[in-house]
Amino acid sequence: MSILHAFFRGIDRLAPARTAHAHCDIPCGIYDPHHAQLAAHTVIRMNLLINELKKPGPNAAAEERQDYANKLSRYVATKEQHAEIAKHEVRILWADYFKPEHLQKFPELHDLVWKTLKAGSKARQEISLQAAEDLLKDANDIATIFWRTKGLDVIKVKAPYPTERETVYPKLG
Amino acid sequence: MEPTLRAGDHVLVYRWAYRRTRPRSGDVVVLRDPEDADRYLVKRVAETKPPDRVVVLGDNRAASRDSRHFGLVGVGSIVGKVVVRARG
Repeated sequence: MSILHAFFRGIDRLAPARTAHAHCDIPCGIYDPHHAQLAAHTVIRMNLLINELKKPGPNAAAEERQDYANKLSRYVATKEQHAEIAKHEVRILWADYFKPEHLQKFPELHDLVWKTLKAGSKARQEISLQAAEDLLKDANDIATIFWRTKGLDVIKVKAPYPTERETVYPKLG
Repeated sequence: MEPTLRAGDHVLVYRWAYRRTRPRSGDVVVLRDPEDADRYLVKRVAETKPPDRVVVLGDNRAASRDSRHFGLVGVGSIVGKVVVRARG
């Protein structure tokens, strides 16, 4: 530490100076609702896989029961994880991307974000295809607003994943 | 603003620097964040746009939120010029 720095630090103690920031959170300005949408697709897929899973009968062999327990645990764990990813990504958009002027233009954003996070929690807590569908729908609505704030139109098309649900993409180029 | 400034450095700001003169390219300035009036930013003036606006950029381009993001800045939102830097 330089003498000058120590001197300033002394002054700072007596009369605290303001902090000047050189940059914000890194990576700056790089946001995309796609992560949240993708995670919602995964949650839907896990619900579908869980529902397709054949439940072992009362006389099932130990191996069959073990196989069922193994698959179910893996699907549930992935569902948990991706519902949380969706919530996390929405929180980032909410806290770091959306600005007061976006809210003025899209006043429904408050409720929408709140609804999305609630749907994410429900999708974690329960095996509920409906909650997962709600999560994707809400993430799509957030994506629509997100791209509009950047002056981009959106298209709604079937996603090229096994879930094949309608998904919002920006019209680029 | 790395490598010019690092987190924790102290800077002395001359608040009257632009009372009589205009900012010049290369000046390191403290300004009010155009997106958050309560927050101060430190940036380098890259270009001046007469009569009273400037383009500010961070030296650490890859990780800076600056005029590339928030556009031109009015000279009125510049708090002052950084005249002394004390490395932490």
